[in-house]
Amino acid sequence: MDYGLKPLGRERFWLFALLAPTGIGLVFGALGSVVATVLLSFANWDLLTPPTWAGLVNYANLFKDPKILLSLTNTFKFAAMYVPGVVIVSLFVAVLMNRKIRGVSLFRTAYFLPAVTSAVATALVWNMIYGRDTGVLNFILERFGLQPVCWLCSGNAMYAVVLVNIWGAIGEGMIIFLAGLTAIPREYYEAAEMDGANDLQQFFRITLPLVTPSIFFQTLMATINAFQAYDYIYMLTRRGQGDSSVPVVVFSIYRNAWNFFNYGGASAQAIELTVLVAALMVFYFWLERRYVVYE
Amino acid sequence: MKLRLFALVMVATLLLAACGGGAKPAAGGAPAEISMMMWGDPAELDVWNQIVADFQQVNPNIKVKVEVSDWDSYWTKLKTLLAAGTPPDVFAIDAPLYLDYQSRGALLNLQPYLDKNPDMLNGVYPQTLEAYKTADGMFGLPRDFQTIVLFYNKDMFDAAGLAYPTSDWTYVELRNAAKQLTKDTNSDGKMDQFGFYADLWDMELIWSEAIWAYGGDIINADHTKTLIGEPKAREAWQMFHDMMFEDMSWPDSNLAGEYGGDPFLAGVAAMTTIGHWVVPGYAEVKFKWDVAPMPKGPAGQATSVNSAGFVVAKDSKSPDASFEFLKYVLSEPAQKRLAELGFACPVLKSVAEGDAFLKQSTPIDHKVFLDSLAFARMKPVFKGYDEWSSAIGDGMATIWTGEAELGPTLDTAVTAADEVLASNK
Amino acid sequence: MTKQRQKLVLDIISYAVLLLGAVLMVGPFLWMVSTSFKLPGDQFTKTLIPPAFTLNNFRELFSVDLNFPLLFWNSAYISILITVGQLITCAMAAFCFAVVKFNGRNLLFTLLLLTMLIPPQVTLIPNFIIFKYLHLVGTSVPLWLPAFWGGAFGTFLLRQYFLTIPRDLVDAARVDGASLLQIFWKIYMPLGKPALAALAIFTFQGAWNDLLHPLVYMPSVPNTMLTVGLAFFQQQMTHGGKFTVLMAGALISILPLLIVFFFAQKQFIEGISLRGLKRRQTRGACKRS
Repeated sequence: MDYGLKPLGRERFWLFALLAPTGIGLVFGALGSVVATVLLSFANWDLLTPPTWAGLVNYANLFKDPKILLSLTNTFKFAAMYVPGVVIVSLFVAVLMNRKIRGVSLFRTAYFLPAVTSAVATALVWNMIYGRDTGVLNFILERFGLQPVCWLCSGNAMYAVVLVNIWGAIGEGMIIFLAGLTAIPREYYEAAEMDGANDLQQFFRITLPLVTPSIFFQTLMATINAFQAYDYIYMLTRRGQGDSSVPVVVFSIYRNAWNFFNYGGASAQAIELTVLVAALMVFYFWLERRYVVYE
Repeated sequence: MKLRLFALVMVATLLLAACGGGAKPAAGGAPAEISMMMWGDPAELDVWNQIVADFQQVNPNIKVKVEVSDWDSYWTKLKTLLAAGTPPDVFAIDAPLYLDYQSRGALLNLQPYLDKNPDMLNGVYPQTLEAYKTADGMFGLPRDFQTIVLFYNKDMFDAAGLAYPTSDWTYVELRNAAKQLTKDTNSDGKMDQFGFYADLWDMELIWSEAIWAYGGDIINADHTKTLIGEPKAREAWQMFHDMMFEDMSWPDSNLAGEYGGDPFLAGVAAMTTIGHWVVPGYAEVKFKWDVAPMPKGPAGQATSVNSAGFVVAKDSKSPDASFEFLKYVLSEPAQKRLAELGFACPVLKSVAEGDAFLKQSTPIDHKVFLDSLAFARMKPVFKGYDEWSSAIGDGMATIWTGEAELGPTLDTAVTAADEVLASNK
Repeated sequence: MTKQRQKLVLDIISYAVLLLGAVLMVGPFLWMVSTSFKLPGDQFTKTLIPPAFTLNNFRELFSVDLNFPLLFWNSAYISILITVGQLITCAMAAFCFAVVKFNGRNLLFTLLLLTMLIPPQVTLIPNFIIFKYLHLVGTSVPLWLPAFWGGAFGTFLLRQYFLTIPRDLVDAARVDGASLLQIFWKIYMPLGKPALAALAIFTFQGAWNDLLHPLVYMPSVPNTMLTVGLAFFQQQMTHGGKFTVLMAGALISILPLLIVFFFAQKQFIEGISLRGLKRRQTRGACKRS
């Protein structure tokens, strides 16, 4: 993807001006977060006394502590289900909505609704929906003569939580894809119609390739969100003092940093998280080069 | 050109920085401004504003800025401020967490001030002061205390024709009553009224009391060994387990979550054990309720005493003013206002045994909370308490959802807890 | 089946699927709304229609001495500032990354994306310390000032979208002697409306629902943002078991977001028609052979 205009003469100043704010932000962002976190990951810091050098102890713990390993496994499982789920469902919904049906702005609002609230409020509702003895879901199941399920018990909690997170993220994905779909010129479809292509063929030959920039974006963002997921998981599966029955990495980070006076350990975990997602990002960029179609 | 633009941006940022800015505390001495942070509800914010107003009348040279947040937000904000080196002058602390801060040098030693005011603590219940005593002196002072008592739903007892709990009750009687109070009121095959519910994650609510009543203990004196897996303690755990899974009189934590975490409040459980902080919230329920002391176990009667207190930041720029404020909090006028709030028991004996506390708006037997001090034991306080209690709470959680067995899981939890103790030494 | 018939059938199926999905999406909300009109005693009932309709929960919400107007105002101006800051600076940067060739473009972009990866719970304290040294703690400045220094999410989103704008438009403009700035302002900003609208929605919503940053940087209730006020208030409601009031509070805080969304989504329609127009113009101009 080597496209680019070369700035001519005095335009170089404007290039610099346009990039300057982001540049400043990068400096502070880099200094503030990444560098500080890396430095702290090699330290022991309890927030109250000055940090002391700890070498690689925190990193060694990452591989020894079973709780940390568990949270990592959970996070991967969660991401593996969440990312495809969100991308596919929101793309599907966006494509359907793009068909010029009546009342589309009402539908858009309806689908965006979950993305708009804070997790705290909706999680309470979901607790009531998923409840084993008094929940709405089981209530409906029983009406149909089926057995009630313990949705939030250890075995099922992961799936229940993935579902709620997808529910909350469809709205955003839908918006992204709708924006991306508008970029596809109508003439392509018109030309295809004239050539006798049916809707399905149009989707796979025109829509899908041309919406790959948005798919790329959405997949990467969904991955980052999956690895940083916290709110819904916490509200639905929490067990007191920041613990949960489905602990993910961010839980562990939060508890170490804020409850256990172990900011160094938390930083090391955060770096571990960053490295993993960065590796995935490299993979996604490779996919971008091969599969994403820009005009 | 580029340099100019960059310089412009830098100057702009610095200008903005100069225009912003928070209040700075005055140097120690006559006029002072101190900041006070605590957790609480909006109702508490109002009362504390009044207390501060009273204080400022008596001490016209001192201005106090009050900041109240909810529990979770409070600790996040407090730790951020401490980490950045800009802590509030005075802040609230929960006794078990006190040593985590004191041992790390974040608190001001109040002993010199206390030595200058030798009679200041005379009217305070001595049990509430214990948690704050260290080898180097007291680094904090309590402002109110909690004891755990048994709450019971009078309407449910009446409907079942049972006598209310008395101060002679034992855990056996509690269990029997709970069994009789567990019903399927609408005949749909599922229990919808339960005899008893208490939180099992935090020891304060039921399990420390029961372990003590059965003759066991929580942790050894020098905090190196966790004792909740010893035989006598196991009897207590077994009783909980039987109530939950044999009698079915104690709903598991999943079910409790469906009722917002408190089945007693939701009118679904007939009894619970909890502290005075729920009283204002419980005041608005539709059923009649009252309190009784904790039941007795084979080794006697036991309950847990805990307190919330205030500490002064070590680097406070107005230590004298801060101490004056703490002193005022322990005085009668302030303690009276707190008593009327109803969230906790005043530490000043004269106020606790007076009308302000005993005849407060919710008409229950508040004296039970005070009498419980006679057999109350202190909630353990030590460095690393948070991490240690999490190891236990996390480890045992699967027992109470029915997914794991009591015995082996308890052993694993104890081992994990001991590891935390070792790493914090 | 004729083409008309086929289209009709597919439209009906789409409609049905969307409708079913909409019910699932909105369902939990309907329940939230209905709970906020129920009496606390009824809060655990499973009916959508409140057994006893009441406005008390909202009354209680506003009777609490929390100064809602101030909370609302703070949330509003801060969210707007953040959105404006992001729209401007991210668009500027995205344009450069998508359209302009310069050394180190890919490296810079990757670095930018990397900053998104560290969880906010960990970056909170280092950032706080920086703002402490700038004496900005206790104000709302640390919340919105960084929005004027670009952002990884916004830049990434806009860059992807800008990349889909046809290059022949740009080339044609260049041939006509347009400068970089003119291309940015006259081509990319108008054509980028759908993505800009999307970014505006996300940014505003993220700012409005943020709890962590106003908590540590701004003074305590009441001079803070709505999220902090609600968290403070919710604790009391949970202790009193009054989830009905909690739901009422949550609803109140959603309303502004819905309004913003409703207005912003009109931009999508504009963007679509604008697109078609521009394309026709260029096609007409260039391919008139």
